[in-house]
Amino acid sequence: MTKWAMVADLRRCVGCQTCTAACKHANATAPGVQWRRVLDMEIGQFPDVRRVFVPVGCMHCDDPPCVSVCPSTATRKREDGIVTIDYDICIGCAYCFQACPYQARYKVSKPTFAYGDDNATENERVRFKAEMMNVAQKCTFCVERIDEGTAKGLTPGVDPEATPACVNSCIAGALHFGDLDDPNSNVSRLLEENESFRMHEELGTGPNIHYLWDKRS
Amino acid sequence: MTAAAKVRKVPTYCYQCVAGPDLLTVKVVDGVATEVEPNFEAADIHPAAGKVCVKAFGLVQKTYNPNRVLTPMKRTNPRKGKDEDPGFVPISWDEALDTIAAKLNAIKASGNVLDESGFPRVAASFGGGGTPQSYLGTFPAFLAAWKVIDFSFGSGQGVKCYHSEHLYGELWHRAFTVCPDTPHTKYVVSFGANIEASGGVCGVYRHAEARARGVTRIQVEPHLSVTAGCSAEWVPIKPKTDAAFLFAMMNVMLHERPRQDLDLNFLKHHTASGYLVAPNGFYLRDPESRKPLVWDTIRGAAVPFDMPGIEPALEGAFVASGIEVGADDDAWEHTSTTVSPGFAQFLDHLRPYTPEWAESVCEVPATTIRRIANDYLDHAEVGATVEVDGRVLPYRPVAITLGKTVSNGWGGYECCWARTMIACLVGGLEVPGGTLGTTVRLNRSGFARLSSVRPGADGFMDYPMNATDAEHWKSSPTTRNGYRMLVPLAANTAWSQALGPTHLAWMFVKNPPKGWPQHSLPDVWFIYRTNPAISFWDTPQVSDAMTKFPFVVAFAYTHDETNHMADILLPDATDLESTQLIRVGGTKFIEQFWDYHGFALRQPVAGVRGDARDFSWIATELAERTGLLEPYNAAINRGGAGIPLNGEGWDFRLDETAKHSVEDVWDAVCRAASAEITEGESTEGLDWYKEHGYRVAPFPRLEWYLFPRLVDSGLRFEMPYQERLWRIGVELGRRLHERDIHWWDNQLSEYQAMPKWKDFPGLWEKAVVKAGGKTEDFPFWLLTARSMQYAWGGNVGVQMIREVAENVAGHRGVIINAATAEKLGIEEGDLVEVGSTLRSVSGKAVLRHGIRPDTLLMIGQFGHWATPLAKNFDTPSMNSLTPMDLDLTDATGSGADVVRVFLRKVRR
Repeated sequence: MTKWAMVADLRRCVGCQTCTAACKHANATAPGVQWRRVLDMEIGQFPDVRRVFVPVGCMHCDDPPCVSVCPSTATRKREDGIVTIDYDICIGCAYCFQACPYQARYKVSKPTFAYGDDNATENERVRFKAEMMNVAQKCTFCVERIDEGTAKGLTPGVDPEATPACVNSCIAGALHFGDLDDPNSNVSRLLEENESFRMHEELGTGPNIHYLWDKRS
Repeated sequence: MTAAAKVRKVPTYCYQCVAGPDLLTVKVVDGVATEVEPNFEAADIHPAAGKVCVKAFGLVQKTYNPNRVLTPMKRTNPRKGKDEDPGFVPISWDEALDTIAAKLNAIKASGNVLDESGFPRVAASFGGGGTPQSYLGTFPAFLAAWKVIDFSFGSGQGVKCYHSEHLYGELWHRAFTVCPDTPHTKYVVSFGANIEASGGVCGVYRHAEARARGVTRIQVEPHLSVTAGCSAEWVPIKPKTDAAFLFAMMNVMLHERPRQDLDLNFLKHHTASGYLVAPNGFYLRDPESRKPLVWDTIRGAAVPFDMPGIEPALEGAFVASGIEVGADDDAWEHTSTTVSPGFAQFLDHLRPYTPEWAESVCEVPATTIRRIANDYLDHAEVGATVEVDGRVLPYRPVAITLGKTVSNGWGGYECCWARTMIACLVGGLEVPGGTLGTTVRLNRSGFARLSSVRPGADGFMDYPMNATDAEHWKSSPTTRNGYRMLVPLAANTAWSQALGPTHLAWMFVKNPPKGWPQHSLPDVWFIYRTNPAISFWDTPQVSDAMTKFPFVVAFAYTHDETNHMADILLPDATDLESTQLIRVGGTKFIEQFWDYHGFALRQPVAGVRGDARDFSWIATELAERTGLLEPYNAAINRGGAGIPLNGEGWDFRLDETAKHSVEDVWDAVCRAASAEITEGESTEGLDWYKEHGYRVAPFPRLEWYLFPRLVDSGLRFEMPYQERLWRIGVELGRRLHERDIHWWDNQLSEYQAMPKWKDFPGLWEKAVVKAGGKTEDFPFWLLTARSMQYAWGGNVGVQMIREVAENVAGHRGVIINAATAEKLGIEEGDLVEVGSTLRSVSGKAVLRHGIRPDTLLMIGQFGHWATPLAKNFDTPSMNSLTPMDLDLTDATGSGADVVRVFLRKVRR
């Protein structure tokens, strides 16, 4: 079996938002929609304070609350772990927005463009996706790249053509992608070698972005 | 996208910031640029695996931004001012170019390219760090054909850069900028060097790799920057007291640790530590050869520093004879006088600067300073070696870096000197693991740092100082910032004008000082990729000066605050629309250390929008219309497009009498580049580069380091005693005083053989009083920090950049310490007013714990009032609050981004 997962190394991330921008390019998301973004967090009080940058997005949970609340079955979980949305089926009810503990979902109600809604630029006209109006949308782990890449015999997380755009773009080498079911995959090895946590693990959703924070002793 | 869409990926480069260039590909769908990706094929040759940062992802929107200027325009309202509508109307290229040419031809016809004040009649200002050069096409060749250009109206140089580091860094170790040998270092102390925001892709990548390797980086700065967030420890120091911290680090290393912990061999044989200092403060010299003398402990006698087989003393006092040579060849003969090595004087000099003393200055616990000093020394591995390209070199995995505001303005000299000397104490200057220079800009050649090493006097590298002797000193300014007259270290090469005191050019429009000629304005001013009306200091004063410029030609992307005062707007084809080949690789700032060097092409990826034109086309047209086609082509042939068109075994020079197309010019440049990089074996032209994007050859790792070149040249580092600088300072003072010029006297005080701590923060407090204020009414330090998403990018009008930048704290307002805000009754999002003695700005409060209680932070440079999109940001900038003030100008002609301000709540 295959279980796709992402690893974010918090020791490396600098919060530059290159992944945020790369995601917007790859997925042609509307202004204000950020399937991938990086939080800029502070912990503590002056002078004992730390700043940490945390990439977030859909966690492609093992037990995704968005799936169970979806009345139209548009949101589903694939066998390889990727949580998908069928835009043809989604009715845009936004139940999933409420259910997702990671604030990972967006909805765009009308065509929205960078320089005014009546002013789509040439590239926006080429990239506009009518099927994404009035439906739930979120990170797909760049599922098309994974499917097309694996069909060509490429390895997601290793071959750029088969790897999520955010991972490809990361200038700090903080983001990694791979198959958790393969003990020799890059992500399995990273989790083996390092201490890690998952966000809101206590909720039992089984999120699949793993955050590295220290070397395992 | 339809199934039949034609998709291709086009390789190109991004050089939007000084930390580039980096390589990318652009996905083009049916002739429209849609996506940016790293250039994965370059993963093995680029220091950051072929990646590009967030700014490059803005290039697609930059191209299709509907607010672009897409046709030449002329001003119809002769009145200029912020509140005047320029009344720009579209005109043809012919009209635009003929209008410009007419102005230039009138200057030519006058027979004098200089005006009555001796200033060039044509001026040009380009944006930060030389990045516009990679977009100017062949325009530099046009400027070269014109010959005399005033580049002294700054857009940020001097006030926003690492200015002291640039000048002193090049003097001491050919280091226009300085960085750690990041891939090999283990311990870094960074004084405000915000590398994760300003180090570009290579900086971020290399430091992330270093952290993964386990490097310890201590970030010392008043606010918890992005870089501090990625560091092992943040030390919140009081602004402008970094020199005290550094002095105390040296005090610990010199006076608390055994001498044997230092690299004594390095100090003796690779620095001037042993040079004997005579009673008047200059070196004791051999009367015949005039070489500095050292005390040889083997012979028990004073001998020339370069005598083989000697062991110079570092400490003690000795009786010796010789001559001492001061300013203007003043000479003293000494017989049996008491002298001591420079290092001994250095020891005494640093004795008072204990960590406990520094604590009272920096507001950092002495225990912290002492711990960091000891950790630095403990990590230095003095005595260790490593083999690089078959040569054994010292290995010293420790480094100190300095950021903006630390390495410029008053205190910058002290910090740069201390940083360089700390490296010398452990033998860690320009060796693997240690503190390295990246490139040169004042010394030639600009792209090959090590080739700039030339033997000079006294065993040091030569340096092209502007003359201070009576015969050769420039007694009046040759450009409007007077760099040759006032700043010997600025030298006189291609970058020198921009590294002079650029704010003088703006300041003196209003009040030229005594001894300065009538401060005329240029007949023609070209501006490109720069917006000094936003990016300089006291921006209303700068804007007001611009209104007086008689004829301004702006290469315009969109309408902005500077081209608001222009007479002609020219739409150049932008980053993804035009053609240029540039050098890549080798070593270059900020952290570009490659194992390859070569060339990369920027090319039109998807056609050109509107009536924008390639910069090289514009340059050729101007050359033709001003009768300069021959010298313009000759300049291209000499290297005006980045590389000479002929070499040993190849000749692609253009016919100098003919007008050449953009494609023909760059084809010739590409062929010359191919020949150069393959030593004549290949001559592929433009088509080859369009397909492949770049061509490189191996670059020896040994050339990352200056130390072996110095050793091979029999040279040493000019540390710690600054005899040459002191002499130059005395001479400069004499020259100025001979002309009854005394307004530069404060600056002369910087020329010291060994700098003392001065109350640097106090200078900014005094400036408040001088401006008529009370220091207690301006209780906060206002600072700025680079925004990685924006810095140097000229991308403030790009919506996506704004969107993603807002994820980083501070892009929506002014950062205030949360406890301070609570005391003042300020809550997150409240509208607050921040004011200096000049004026005030307002913005939303952003409350953070990672900032000193007495410090405020305004990220980036905003405050736009004309630039589409950006004028609606409502994000405050410190630039209009920061005065241009001679009292706050150091000897290199730079100032620091610091100002005392008040803070008050306006409304919730």
